[in-house]
Amino acid sequence: MKAYVCCLFTSLTAALPSLGRADDRILPEGLQLHGFLSQGYVQTSANRWFGDSEQGSWDFREIGINASYRPARRWLVSAQVLSRTAGDMDDGSLRLDYGLLDWGFEANAERRLGLRLGRIKNPAGFYNETRDVAFTRPAIFLPQAVYFDRVRNLALSADGAQIYGDWSLEGANLSLRIGMGMPLINKAAEATFMGRDWQGSLKADRPLVITRLGYETGDRRLRLALSGITVRMDFERGPADPPPPLLDSGHIDLTMGILSAQYNSERWSLTGEYLLQGVNWVGTGRLPPGYNLAQGWYLQGEWRPRDDLSLFLRYDDRITNLDDPNGTDAEAARGIPAHNGFAHDWVLGGGWTPRSDLLVRLEYHWVDGTAWLSNEENDPRSTTRRWQMFAAQVSFRF
Amino acid sequence: MIRRMAWLLLLLLPCILPAQVLVANPDVPLRAIERSRARAYFFLRLHEWPDGTPVRLFVLDDRAPLHRRFSKEVLGVLPQSLRRTWDRMLFAGLAQPPERVGSIEEMRRRVATTPGALGYLPKGETDESVRVLPVH
Repeated sequence: MKAYVCCLFTSLTAALPSLGRADDRILPEGLQLHGFLSQGYVQTSANRWFGDSEQGSWDFREIGINASYRPARRWLVSAQVLSRTAGDMDDGSLRLDYGLLDWGFEANAERRLGLRLGRIKNPAGFYNETRDVAFTRPAIFLPQAVYFDRVRNLALSADGAQIYGDWSLEGANLSLRIGMGMPLINKAAEATFMGRDWQGSLKADRPLVITRLGYETGDRRLRLALSGITVRMDFERGPADPPPPLLDSGHIDLTMGILSAQYNSERWSLTGEYLLQGVNWVGTGRLPPGYNLAQGWYLQGEWRPRDDLSLFLRYDDRITNLDDPNGTDAEAARGIPAHNGFAHDWVLGGGWTPRSDLLVRLEYHWVDGTAWLSNEENDPRSTTRRWQMFAAQVSFRF
Repeated sequence: MIRRMAWLLLLLLPCILPAQVLVANPDVPLRAIERSRARAYFFLRLHEWPDGTPVRLFVLDDRAPLHRRFSKEVLGVLPQSLRRTWDRMLFAGLAQPPERVGSIEEMRRRVATTPGALGYLPKGETDESVRVLPVH
């Protein structure tokens, strides 16, 4: 597998750069092809994350190719296929990441308005839309307190419609995006919100709603955003599942709000995001908790001593239940170790960009708590509270 | 004394005048451009000239000194802000990023021959094949 990836990597690196160049153009007018490829390595002192990380895991790969075409003035068609390997959380199967039609019905220097239809990535926080593209992330792993990879699909994209607007104000830009569409739900969502993968099923029969309001100064040094997502999932109990009143058919309402802020200067950046996530279980029986409010936030400082070199320090903090920040109530009630209720993560890392299409990253995590580890990769009853992680990643783009 | 002052002036000149300029295809309908409009083009928020002609953006590699100086001194933004916006829009399927050219010579040729083209050149490298757009 390793040899195969290496081979693929080398041949892509050799063959693809010419595609994006205007010089030796081989593509029709208005059509662009781009893509990315990344291979990661993860080593943990305890607990599994992206595969058998205690032995050192290579099961972290992201490969994507996209095409975009302007069929007419103010129209854009684009699609991206993605293969993502993430230990037991993602098996690398090919899927449509996005596929959309964009119509900008008003466009001038002061204002633009438009409509998008299709599978659209959800603009939650600064990074959700392009979370699988290493070049757009601030580190190998996004801050898990806000961008938890274990239930990524639910908030990843929606099949529906989105309206967008941009306004140019005095020295600043304001943007608004409102979208509605069907989310993708998989077993990971059921494991997270229903405690495990039951015989019954969890579905989203109603569209998700996403809103994002953004503000940027004209020079883009200061960026602020406020995003919100609401989604309702329906749970249908299977015949072999525990009978009511333990478990019953009902629904789950999930609401997320993210506040984002970033300041950039030539040599350093400071980024912070804060997430509040409310989950309400209605009629699903006594096993699920009823109501839960989770909180996640991080602060990351980045320093670029040279144009091709960056170093960062991040603190990332998640609390699964604000009424039980130490997880002790959950331990007393359900026997799950208290440290599953939180995760405090200090990260030190750096990146090197030897060429503008190549990125090499290293990072080290000191983690207290296991709140964002996946139940698909770990038995929550046998996780280790204090653990460390080393990760490395090489990424190529074209 | 006069000679010394002339030398000093010559040394200061690159600091006073922008060493790089915005250039467009000679057929575009503008003689000068507001900075907010230039930014709207380079941040992929606006894709057409006032007469509706599509804008075709050309840039050098992110590392090229001319690209970095153009970003900071003409657009008044950090080059990494441009890159971040282009990548975010590109990999979410929301816009097409600028086309990359390999040299200043290629930049001039592509801007001169592509309808609606917009790019940049060192001040001394322009000729009548492209239109210099003063930014105000």
